[in-house]
Amino acid sequence: MDAAVLDTTRTFVEVTEIWIPDGDRLVQAGGNYGSHGEFEAISGMESFAKGEGLPGKAWLEERPVVLKEFDGSYFKRTEAARAAGLTSAVAIPVFADTTLKAVLVLLCADDDVRTGAIEVWAEKDGLLMLEDGYYGAAKHFEWVSQHTHFPRGQGLPGGVWAANTPMLMRDLGSGYKFIRADSAGRAGLTTGLGMPVPVPGNRAYVLTLLSARGTPIARRFELWDARTAKVGTSGQAVLIDGICAHEGPLWNEDNPRRIGAWQGLVGKALGSGLPAVEHGRPSIVHGYDTMVALPIYQGDAVAHVVAWYC
Amino acid sequence: MQKLVIIGAGMASGRLLEHLFELDPDAFDVTLFNAEPRGNYNRIMLSPVLSGEKSYEEIITHDEDWYARNNVACRFGEHVTKIDRERKVVVGENGEVPYDKLVIATGSAPFIIPVEGRNLPGVVTYRDLDDTNAMIEASGKPGAKAVVIGGGLLGLEAAAGLRLRGMDVSVIHLSGHLMERQLDEAAGYLLKRDLERRGIKVHCNSSTAAILGDDRVEGVLLEDDTAFQADLVVMAVGIRPETRLAVDAGLEVARGVSITPQMQTLNDPDVYAVGECVDLDGMLFGLVAPLYDQAKVLAENLLGGEATFVPKDLATKLKVTGIDLYSAGDFSAEDREEIVLRDAAAAVYKRLVLKDNRLIGAVMYGDTADGAWFFDLVKNGADISEMRETLIFGQAYQGGTPLDPMAAVAALPDDAEICGCNGVCKGKIVNAITEKGLTGLDDVRAHTKASASCGACTGLVEQLMSLTLGDAFSPAAVQPMCGCTDLGHDDVRRLILAKELKSIDAVMQELEWKTSCGCAKCRPALNYYLVCDWPDEYADDYQSRFINERVHANVQKDGTYSVVPRMWGGVTSSKELRAIADVVDKFNIPTVKCTGGQRIDMLGIRKEDLPAVWADLGEAGFVSGHAYAKGLRTVKTCVGNDWCRFGTQDSTGLGIRLEKFMWGSWTPAKVKLAVSGCPRNCAEATCKDVGVICVDSGFEIHFAGAAGLEIKGTEVLCQVRTEDEALEYIVALTQMYREQARYLERIYKWAKRIGYDEVRRQIVDDPERRRHFFDRFVFSQKFAQVDPWSERVSGKDKHEFRPMAIVPKEAAE
Amino acid sequence: MNVQTQNWVAVGVLEDIPRRGARCVSYGAMTIAVFRTENDRVFALEDKCPHRNGPLSQGIVHDGCVTCPLHNWVISLETGQAQGTDEGATASFPVKLEGGRILLSLGRA
Repeated sequence: MDAAVLDTTRTFVEVTEIWIPDGDRLVQAGGNYGSHGEFEAISGMESFAKGEGLPGKAWLEERPVVLKEFDGSYFKRTEAARAAGLTSAVAIPVFADTTLKAVLVLLCADDDVRTGAIEVWAEKDGLLMLEDGYYGAAKHFEWVSQHTHFPRGQGLPGGVWAANTPMLMRDLGSGYKFIRADSAGRAGLTTGLGMPVPVPGNRAYVLTLLSARGTPIARRFELWDARTAKVGTSGQAVLIDGICAHEGPLWNEDNPRRIGAWQGLVGKALGSGLPAVEHGRPSIVHGYDTMVALPIYQGDAVAHVVAWYC
Repeated sequence: MQKLVIIGAGMASGRLLEHLFELDPDAFDVTLFNAEPRGNYNRIMLSPVLSGEKSYEEIITHDEDWYARNNVACRFGEHVTKIDRERKVVVGENGEVPYDKLVIATGSAPFIIPVEGRNLPGVVTYRDLDDTNAMIEASGKPGAKAVVIGGGLLGLEAAAGLRLRGMDVSVIHLSGHLMERQLDEAAGYLLKRDLERRGIKVHCNSSTAAILGDDRVEGVLLEDDTAFQADLVVMAVGIRPETRLAVDAGLEVARGVSITPQMQTLNDPDVYAVGECVDLDGMLFGLVAPLYDQAKVLAENLLGGEATFVPKDLATKLKVTGIDLYSAGDFSAEDREEIVLRDAAAAVYKRLVLKDNRLIGAVMYGDTADGAWFFDLVKNGADISEMRETLIFGQAYQGGTPLDPMAAVAALPDDAEICGCNGVCKGKIVNAITEKGLTGLDDVRAHTKASASCGACTGLVEQLMSLTLGDAFSPAAVQPMCGCTDLGHDDVRRLILAKELKSIDAVMQELEWKTSCGCAKCRPALNYYLVCDWPDEYADDYQSRFINERVHANVQKDGTYSVVPRMWGGVTSSKELRAIADVVDKFNIPTVKCTGGQRIDMLGIRKEDLPAVWADLGEAGFVSGHAYAKGLRTVKTCVGNDWCRFGTQDSTGLGIRLEKFMWGSWTPAKVKLAVSGCPRNCAEATCKDVGVICVDSGFEIHFAGAAGLEIKGTEVLCQVRTEDEALEYIVALTQMYREQARYLERIYKWAKRIGYDEVRRQIVDDPERRRHFFDRFVFSQKFAQVDPWSERVSGKDKHEFRPMAIVPKEAAE
Repeated sequence: MNVQTQNWVAVGVLEDIPRRGARCVSYGAMTIAVFRTENDRVFALEDKCPHRNGPLSQGIVHDGCVTCPLHNWVISLETGQAQGTDEGATASFPVKLEGGRILLSLGRA
């Protein structure tokens, strides 16, 4: 694909924000609000106590939270969200052991066109069950996935659970067969990024972001491994997988890319241990103007960094 | 342009073409046959394609464009039926192609175990994309069950991939544990556990009896009558070279197509072979690295080169996401040693295989960070004896980084196994050391058996002792003398004696000094060692002494000198004082000061005046006070029973006697003595290098005190009855110090290092040895006890004190 | 006139200087140290360490360098530059050997 082609398809996720604890409240610490200036302004003035609002709920309950109906809910910025056309959100807490480092919030708009899925899977009775998910226009998938479960090692959620590492599936496999099927002329969800969401208490949570061809969650994904079991005590991370709409496959078995802490935006997430969201900066990989880098902890150390670019 | 035909578009042949076109794109007109209906792709990455983690498109190495660009005639999906070597023609299903050179790259065929049912639909091998697609297809049915026969690398990757796809998977393995060619039981166990945690069932020690089913596969039956349901059976029990075409063509074939190290077949110079199908002196090649090497060699040789393929060491990785396993090298060698590190809590297992101080194999499970580094060590055949103790901890713990190897040992949990031979864990060793008060390695061996068998863990045990006992345990750690050598002081001293090295040049030559002249650190040290060891034969190298010792005065900050004549035992006379006063006046010496050593210092003397100053002092009977020397400085005294009402012995007399006996001797570092007439210790003998406290019954001899940058009270050597004995003991002790210490090491440091008891053992408990020390000191004094001032007054080294030339300013302009 | 002249002054013979050692040449208020290395090469530096004016002529000579006796700065005999991490230089003078005679150039070039 030609890197110079301007891709005007709107992305599935409209707004990405980072909230970090400051004393006993969560305050805004960066984000990408796209064209939603008002919402951005309002968000900048907000802060959440533990249990308050969506980010506060993720903090208190120590789990990822999906919210699909803002009206009448605990969501605090309902008016502003409605004005911006945002209708659903997912809050992902980032815990280093039992300490909350940040909450990443993804907000989506409702429409008939964009198809994708953001799912939160949780362990129950030895299986991963769908706790909740947001499917955009593919609402029909929702019912089916609510009745799907994955044992350890099976499917993208089960695979991520067993391996305790993020995974990028090009082909979702039979566990997701129902949503691979072409349905009512719309594209199926074929590729997916799965990542563990470690929380205190060790209950297993897996977050999946599934993409359809027409409206990808992102057009470039990178999975970085920063565990000492992989890179020693160098403080670096090595690129173990990645795919880009422009460059194609990013992985290289013989000579994988390496970065150090604070090197670039992924390095920033690696070094700070906090999520990083950047928009419109020239340092972002050529051809993209937004990126999100999310550190994934094992214990109190950053084990992986997942980055996606739009 | 010659015609080149290649049979097989696998990874070896793809690499071959790349190298060939790089070296000479116009040398050959290439036709490429492939039984598979596609070009070359990265077969190794089929497992991620099976699991869904990669797409086939991503693993294609050479696409249509590439072949077109390089003018390769592609005959994909077409089987070769025959090679006619007489007519030099390759016969394919769709026609013939003539060749000038032929390369057979037919790869391997998978072993199929000869059981009933092996040909049923639903039974697949795992070699190529078609197999992979068949497996993916089979996984599409929800709830489908797969049985994988073969628990080696390939079988396990297939199992994990199928599981991710959504199947119910069981692995059947003949041996007692998985991947037995690379792993031992412990690691095999960890692997089995991780696979089972993914819901994959593993059955070892299981032999397949038959595959059940009518029109298609339905199950697998084992020898012990256990049966498993199966919708898909994957046979991954091994591969063998595909040689049918070569056999039919009359080429020499052993286990594979026989080749020379130049990649040529043995009986036809125009036919070559490369890749998994070859047999080089009985060796087969199943991993990609040697295939790439072969391809490079063959490309050169096809163009007329004479390259040789040399099989090298191999590394393998298991490609199952979430399992970190890396193995490299050879595990089968006889008389090898092993170092194993197990950390049950972190599920880490590392095993290093050594032979003759070289690393020959490494397996890592759970922590592969150092995999590449260990592999390099295997490939280079480097001597790892220096890093033996920390080798297993990986690259970060070798020299050059600030990381402390002790940190690694400290971080090990108590149940970490230290001694593999005897199964002794860290906790057991540490507890034994603390509870039983063990202080030495032999103790630990006796009480715990750790390091008592093969000894490979001795370094680790010593580290544990250091960790537990701290300074009280000192493992041998060699600090080099300086940047010119890797040898430590003790090594050099030992070698000077053992090899009878009698000059600095001989030392630097025989001990392989890295520089031609040494440096300011080692030259003075070597000079001292040689003076000490060969007093009669070695000529002091004055250019290896510091300026003070060359000019026998102390250089001051403005380039002038200070002169300190000896005042024996701190006792002087009016004649001496008058002589000093006259010298001060005559030479306009700016400062006169009493020193802490009970004598007088004259400061501010110009260098060129020194010989004259000495001449005058010498006439008054003075000799050099050696206030600058690494030698005996002073012997302080208190008044003693001459005058003092408390004096028990003649401390002044003894002090003077000691000073007169010992002055002039060079020592590793300065030596200061003192003799106190009673325990009130007015001469401060208890903070000196050697001190004497006189008591009624005799003389208490002290040593190893310090009162400079460090303050330390002395240790008691012993008590003697007579002055003669006191002299003998003190001189013997000094000689022992001269012979054994490192240059610049004060007595208190040396004694602490070797142990005060050791000093007592040699000086007090061993009269014969003490006598020998004494005699050697006396002998050495014959050559050393020479007044340097009078030497210089009489003209020795006069060049030190006079300029070579005086150039008037006008002459130069 | 733009002729560069060098005034060579004979200051002694090679044997006057101990090997791995130095002798001094007094030149007005300045003292110049003339060094002889292990392999009989000669160098000349002002007898002042760039650190604290220590007498370089009295230091230990090794491998084309001399270590100042005051604080152990290592100075290159050829360039007069301090080695390692120390910064500073002492003046160096052209010197040559002609038939065993040591010739020192004192005019500033």
